[in-house]
Amino acid sequence: MSRRAMEAALALALLVGLGACKVVKDKGNEAAQDQAPPGGPPTLPAYQMRAEMASGDRLHTSMDGAALFSNRCGACHLAGGMGTNLLTKQQMAAGRPPQMGLLVNRDDLTADYVKSVVRMGKAAMPRQTRVDVTDAELDKIAAYLGKGK
Amino acid sequence: MELTLPPGLSPQGFDAAVKALQGAVGAGWVLTSDQDRDAYADIYAPGPETLWPASGAVAPGTVEEVQAVVRLANEHKLPLWTVARGKNLGYGTAAPRMPGCMVLDLGRMNAIVELDPELGYCVIEPGVGFIDLYERIQRDKLPLMMSVPGNGWGSVLGNALDHGIGYTPYGLHAKNLCGLEVVLPDGDLVRTGLGAMGNNHAWNLFPFGYGPTWDLMFSQSNLGVVTKAGMWLMPEPETSLELNLDIPEAEDIEWVIDTLAPLKLGGIIDQSIFIPSWLGKMVILGQRKDFWDKPGAIPDWRVAELLKEHKLGYWKVQIRLYGDETVNKAKAQVVQAAFRKHIDTPMEEVWWRKGDPTNIMDTTLGVPSAVPLQMGDWVGGRSAHMGFSPVVPATGKHVVGQLRRSRKIISDHDVDFYASFTMGGRFCNNVNMLMYDRDNEAQVTGIKKLFNALIADAAAAGYAEYRTHIGWMDPIADTFDFNNHAMRRMTEKVKDALDPNGILSPGKQGIWPSAYAAQRGKALA
Repeated sequence: MSRRAMEAALALALLVGLGACKVVKDKGNEAAQDQAPPGGPPTLPAYQMRAEMASGDRLHTSMDGAALFSNRCGACHLAGGMGTNLLTKQQMAAGRPPQMGLLVNRDDLTADYVKSVVRMGKAAMPRQTRVDVTDAELDKIAAYLGKGK
Repeated sequence: MELTLPPGLSPQGFDAAVKALQGAVGAGWVLTSDQDRDAYADIYAPGPETLWPASGAVAPGTVEEVQAVVRLANEHKLPLWTVARGKNLGYGTAAPRMPGCMVLDLGRMNAIVELDPELGYCVIEPGVGFIDLYERIQRDKLPLMMSVPGNGWGSVLGNALDHGIGYTPYGLHAKNLCGLEVVLPDGDLVRTGLGAMGNNHAWNLFPFGYGPTWDLMFSQSNLGVVTKAGMWLMPEPETSLELNLDIPEAEDIEWVIDTLAPLKLGGIIDQSIFIPSWLGKMVILGQRKDFWDKPGAIPDWRVAELLKEHKLGYWKVQIRLYGDETVNKAKAQVVQAAFRKHIDTPMEEVWWRKGDPTNIMDTTLGVPSAVPLQMGDWVGGRSAHMGFSPVVPATGKHVVGQLRRSRKIISDHDVDFYASFTMGGRFCNNVNMLMYDRDNEAQVTGIKKLFNALIADAAAAGYAEYRTHIGWMDPIADTFDFNNHAMRRMTEKVKDALDPNGILSPGKQGIWPSAYAAQRGKALA
């Protein structure tokens, strides 16, 4: 990866990690605008780096929701991830803008819904074990994503 | 999912075992709620998940905790089912072969112990995922390139130990393992190879031991729990050149293989060469219903139309050369000359040079991703896939023979045909992806029938599977029948000697300890 691409990926990881919601949304829009029209292959973004896990007791995590979301969920739910790709298709089919494929951009998720999907699974989304995401981590992730009423 | 006890264990005995495990790893890392049991089920199960229920999971964080768990499992006669990260999708995910096993989840043991760019290797624990290792290499700006499988979410060691494959010159992942640390079924701790010497500097570099070399006895195995291992990594090449070519007809695979094999064996092509059929490209473009909205397999005339519409060949040959630019240019000329004898279409050349960006789908440049799993969306619903994966010699005759037979059987069962051949040396792994909607009972029943037909046909023709789903571990083991299953007899003698209580992964790859011999042939798919 080039230095510039690396810096860009790191910058995005940091933005997500620090929970700078407005900027993250802008990045999300950019990513979404890169999408080709439906039916064509999506434009592939540079590889996204997740926030790093802090060391320490995961049963009583000291990390914030944004960093936890990036690390625990980022393999699929950052830009270009499998979850983002599938959700983008679903959101567009429901008449919503493509950037809603990124979970950080969603305004209709509630914390309880997030917890339910993580533990019970949904469509292609597998259930996450409590080793994948501990209850303490999930509380923070759900609070971070749960902007809906 | 309700609690299923392992054979022979009473509810009181199970409770006592759980309490003992809580004492060893902490109450928060023994997971025995109904929801936990669901989370360890096989999400791609061909049939009800309740066929392969775990009684719970225990997640140690250190080698010492693994040893303690194994000793307690012996004491309480609690069988364990070891997983690294539990993401073996298509092969059972984290679910145990024998109902009631407690999953030994090593996901918390995710330390990258060593990462050496000078000699190109790492020493890692089983919880390290491909994405974890990739990010560490990128953050530290190390000149190393990984070899990754289709599912980058999974464990580096788990994949190698299950004989997983990738698409770079380091694509045979089990061959990259060098020096294993293993907790034996009695809780003892050994290191293989030169690691048997306590202070040895080369145990992750020299591939043999002094005397018998045991490393691979712990792959696809229930003879120990690998707690860390050395893994060789490729030095990042100065350049890489991708040569792309669409191959028009299905039967062309015969000359394609006969063209590639000498180049592979002669060292012109170093990578494990991946040749997917057209559906491998189509699954990214949309869902099946976007291209064919009727039940049953897409008919050949529609396939021909689709290939024309989307400018695809029946096969996609993507060759990647790695190394010095001058050498790659010279190698490309040799490759192109070999193909020109059969096809006029020039190969598309795509150069990558050190420092160039990669994208998330570049598995041949070692970038891990979970996106290939998206293929399941092809059929819609709660989609899943299984792979039927016989190993065939790398000659056109064998490959086209396997292709004709499996294509006919898959077509007779009215399922879309999606095959790939990956040439890893003198052989090809022929992975036939079978995609199905888990909530469509007819599809699930059809896929199971088809899988059984494919196994029987391949075995009769002299080909074996390299890996399989938990529900077929016994039937596949039955196909290894030389001298009335002499290899199984030998491995089961070793199993009983090392694991007299049979507590480690009973039934893994059809190897049953005496303690649970009555379970052989039960809980099949």
